[in-house]
Amino acid sequence: MIDTHLHARIEVMGTTITVDGYATQPIDARWWDQRMASVAADLQWVDETFSTWKADSAVSKWRRSEESLDELPHDLATVFQRCQELKALSGGWFDPWACPDGFDPSGFVKGWAAERALLILRDGPLVGAIVNAAGDVALFGELPAGEKFRVGIVDPFDRGQLVRVVVVAHALATSGEGERGQHLVNPFTGVYEASMASASVAGPDLGIADALATALAVGGEEVLVLINDIPEYEAFMIGFNGRHWATADFPFATL
Amino acid sequence: MPRSAYVLTGTALGLLGIAFFRTTPVTLSPPPSVTTTSSSSTSTTSPRTPPTTVPGTPPTVPPTIPPTTVPPTTVPAGPRSATGQLTDYSWGTLSVKVTLAGGRITSVTVPSLNDYGNGRSQYIDDYSIPILEQEALRAQSANIASVSGASYTSAGFIQSLQEALSALGR
Repeated sequence: MIDTHLHARIEVMGTTITVDGYATQPIDARWWDQRMASVAADLQWVDETFSTWKADSAVSKWRRSEESLDELPHDLATVFQRCQELKALSGGWFDPWACPDGFDPSGFVKGWAAERALLILRDGPLVGAIVNAAGDVALFGELPAGEKFRVGIVDPFDRGQLVRVVVVAHALATSGEGERGQHLVNPFTGVYEASMASASVAGPDLGIADALATALAVGGEEVLVLINDIPEYEAFMIGFNGRHWATADFPFATL
Repeated sequence: MPRSAYVLTGTALGLLGIAFFRTTPVTLSPPPSVTTTSSSSTSTTSPRTPPTTVPGTPPTVPPTIPPTTVPPTTVPAGPRSATGQLTDYSWGTLSVKVTLAGGRITSVTVPSLNDYGNGRSQYIDDYSIPILEQEALRAQSANIASVSGASYTSAGFIQSLQEALSALGR
């Protein structure tokens, strides 16, 4: 049975990305290895293009204004555009331009990259696949037995525990901070501060969910209300006081 | 049912000290459709859940009969639900509906909520639900395929759990 489920671990973008593929028949190992090589190469390309840590990435060059947008890879313009749309969608709470060190699309790119990876796995023998990019999950299909995928949300106050289980059809992103100010920037104050310990967004696209989860972690209630009005996206958040909030249709698992 | 009594008590207690918010204008989406009988223990009805539209009302019960008049003996076997008494909370009143199936909680919803215009959003604070669903959570956790968490919580935990799940063939 083990070869109807294959697992890969890819170290890239300064983190670990895992890929799980599920099929009703044994998965051809050569097919899998080829696809994993393609996924790894694509993630590597995303990292080299969008990393804010690498001085020679396209984003870093753009930040230093060494190159104009039309000299840069086409996909940077695409990401740029998507970030503008997501800034508007999130009421300004997701704002890659507000980072003190310059344009930082990381809150979108990780989810976007996972969606790209998932695309590489679609045309093949798999009935379902999961890409987990350091806690942000993109998937398609279901388990071979026909069950929907269930994804646990980590308890922000006890990382060895789960706090809720969610039925995920496409994407689930979680953002947040252990303490109020570490790496999330409030775009309206320019200060590193989060208002939520954990902020999860479920929906059809992980890039969008990732950006909205980042916005939710910073904006809290105001963003939850906003996401409530975005079709197909649902939100769940845990405050530093331990309180839970969710939009009406967040897909919590039941037995 | 002793179990549902326990559950409802737990719900009422859990909800007493917590915050519920509502927006104005009211745009609450319909309650999740529950394929169960709705049997209410309170005579107060919410404007959002008129009795004639209670989902899951069994075909044997004429839709014009409010849930409050449904005698318990007509509740069929299988999944069933009950609505707790209207309870005061910090911002107004609410009641909570719990659905059980096979002796387990399958949903906890708030079909009746009135904050007298104090509210701020349509979402629910489901602070009480994790307590109610501890048992369910344990059962579900054995059944997950992946884990989501903020990167600060998850780097190690997620990957090791993911791999443990993979090793178990999930």
